[in-house]
Amino acid sequence: MDKQQRIKEWQEKTARSMNRFPERKERFHTSSDIEIDRLYGTEDEHYPMESLGLPGEYPYTRGSQSTMYRARFWTMRQYAGFGSAEETNKRFRYLLDQGQTGLSVAFDLPTQIGYDSDHSMSRGEVGKVGVAIDSIEDMEALLKDIPLDKVSTSMTINAPASVLLAMYIAVAEKQGVAPEKLSGTIQNDILKEYIARGTYIFPPKPSMRLITDIFGYCQEFVPKWNTISISGYHIREAGANAAQELAFTIANGLAYVDAAIEAGLHIDDFAPRLAFFFNAHNQFFEEVAKFRAARRMWAKLMKEHYGAKNPKSWQLRFHTQTGGSTLTAQQPDNNIVRVTTQALSAVLGGTQSLHTNSRDEALALPTEDSARIALRTQQILAHETGVADTVDPLAGSYYVEHLTDELERRANEYIEKIKQMGGAVAAVEQGYMQREIHHTSYETQKKIESGQEIIVGMNKFSIENEAQPELLRVDPTLGEKQKEKLQALKVKRDQNRVSAQLESLRNAAKGDDNLMPIIVECVKSYCTIGEICGVLREEFGEYTGV
Amino acid sequence: MKKTIRVLIAKPGLDGHDRGALVVSQALRDYGMEVIYTGLRQTPEQIAAAAVQEDVDAIGLSCLSGAHNELFPEVMRLLHEKGADDIIVVGGGVIPWEDIPFLESKGIQKVFTPGTPTIETAKFIEQAVYKRDGITEVVFSGVAPERIDHIGIAVKSLDEALPFYVNVLGLTLEAIEEVPSQKVKVAFIKIGETRLELLEALTSESPVAQFIEKRGQGVHHVALGVTNIQDRIDEMKANGIKMIHDAAVPGAGGASVAFMHPSSTHKVLFELCEKTKSKEEAK
Repeated sequence: MDKQQRIKEWQEKTARSMNRFPERKERFHTSSDIEIDRLYGTEDEHYPMESLGLPGEYPYTRGSQSTMYRARFWTMRQYAGFGSAEETNKRFRYLLDQGQTGLSVAFDLPTQIGYDSDHSMSRGEVGKVGVAIDSIEDMEALLKDIPLDKVSTSMTINAPASVLLAMYIAVAEKQGVAPEKLSGTIQNDILKEYIARGTYIFPPKPSMRLITDIFGYCQEFVPKWNTISISGYHIREAGANAAQELAFTIANGLAYVDAAIEAGLHIDDFAPRLAFFFNAHNQFFEEVAKFRAARRMWAKLMKEHYGAKNPKSWQLRFHTQTGGSTLTAQQPDNNIVRVTTQALSAVLGGTQSLHTNSRDEALALPTEDSARIALRTQQILAHETGVADTVDPLAGSYYVEHLTDELERRANEYIEKIKQMGGAVAAVEQGYMQREIHHTSYETQKKIESGQEIIVGMNKFSIENEAQPELLRVDPTLGEKQKEKLQALKVKRDQNRVSAQLESLRNAAKGDDNLMPIIVECVKSYCTIGEICGVLREEFGEYTGV
Repeated sequence: MKKTIRVLIAKPGLDGHDRGALVVSQALRDYGMEVIYTGLRQTPEQIAAAAVQEDVDAIGLSCLSGAHNELFPEVMRLLHEKGADDIIVVGGGVIPWEDIPFLESKGIQKVFTPGTPTIETAKFIEQAVYKRDGITEVVFSGVAPERIDHIGIAVKSLDEALPFYVNVLGLTLEAIEEVPSQKVKVAFIKIGETRLELLEALTSESPVAQFIEKRGQGVHHVALGVTNIQDRIDEMKANGIKMIHDAAVPGAGGASVAFMHPSSTHKVLFELCEKTKSKEEAK
């Protein structure tokens, strides 16, 4: 198609979509009253249509929607959760009151690894890095008075993702909200757990089955749910560079697509529900380029390699969190500045949702004050800076376009190598990505220690005798309280029903029926997460590392 | 480093963040320590048992999940129960400053907060282990040996060996003298800035005779030219180097000499050798 023709069609399509999704303002303008157009660059006769496309069109380099933030800002979604379900519920309602637009649940490690709060492995960990959930009772307390048909919820849960999703569905049902109305995301990305984050339970094969079972179930019953959030975030935190983050995330994504196709699902039925999760680090332009390259790479793979027909299958939609590992324990207020530039790179890279870290996260979980400043940082970017008033403003910068191309090239080299190893699952089992990441992280450390890389306030411009900030403390008696709650539950529930459900789960795990419907029944019968994962541990075995 | 320090790097609890543990493990290895990394999700029992079984000098505990106040003291309690109190334990991770005094009161020797250079951790562990083992801190005066004063070569007979050096190689014989303290007769052959020192045993008790009996003729020692030899001897001893001579003895050419024990010097016999100016001139 002729370029002018394509631009014309895009304009018409955009106008039509604006009838349904109007822009935030009638007219956008700068302080000097210069009119701000929706899109710049297409008037250039050399506009690289093939590599950049148009916003909301293949290959999505310039963004996944045609009007981007002119219609609606990104979702401001702060990851939160600590202590008991009741306490976290309070923090959620506080954040919603402060203008946050989506929820993001942090679970404690026992929950993430499928242990009840009274398990010996849970010692010291209950309620520490997130909220403790043992049964549907805790989930009800967590979501109390939150309208699940209106708020979208992201849950950072992986190995036991089925169990938490089942609880969410069951609580919604009690609230009178049907599953098809629910929107949200489960992380459900086990491969990066083996690579970088460590909250795996089962070996790769049954883990991949649990994931594809969720794909199949949600396609039918929870169609608005994002069934996976393929995460580069933790790969980057573990020490990878931007090219490795991009490459390993996409390689993992391809492994999930392959597994789903092998399980008999059709690409265009599940691919539109795949979501991504990236990190935003300090190297500003490289980060912007990374997000743009990610969209283009995924679109090409889905369309050209897998033959997806639905444009929604081609679109890489992603959440971003600023880089936790870039925060310093020294002079923690400096972290506000780091978070600001990182968040800006995510916005200029076209993120769909964003978590901004709190200044004190190198020291402890954030206090309410710190969490508020983090949210305000996003609000300032959105409402005061004007960076959201035109689509993909850095496009056409020689530097940014070069970085975008170069990151794509380097990531593709890695992806090719992983393909030759037999795909991401095989590469993980051989420890390949783990070794590559460790190599980069150690080199980075050496550069920091030699002063070749400067971290302000840490290896340069440091001060003696810093004042110590106020930190958040989690109730140290929570572990005991949670145990008591669990004991009480076990007394009052129908034990026969629990045993029967767990037995049918065991039988299903031995075969290949979709496990999701049975897990939903289990949680409704007040089976605990430890009991459900316990049965699956017995049937599937446990992963013990490379 | 005078002894190879063995360290167990451990991840107690359920925390999966192992970037720090892996970086510290490698940094300690690069520093010369032997490092065993436990992998993720270790119970305090597993960590204490591994430490005892592997006979480590030190344990580094890493935790970013906030469970440190419970898990670190439990490791200490179990080490005590196993009679392994002498193991040096340090910690790191996301640990609020206000928890550090509590952890130290439980016997954790040091908590390293984010941003600590790995070299600092390595040096701390090294010095804590030396202190425990009664090895004084590494002291280095800043004065390195100045030159190779000579290379000592053990021969059965000077008369048989000398023609090779003098006639075949064409080197200059500087002097022949007897050194009663070592029960040897030595021949000095000048070569550039330094000398070869041929050594012939005078009696069968001479160290050179014993050397030849055990290992045959050949290179015997390397002499390092120093000044203030007694200070250097004391410095070597302070650093745990075993000396054959605790005080300088008279050597050939009017020098003061002291030998280091090869067990401390990676199997090379080194001699510290000081020649005063006046003696040099007198020769």
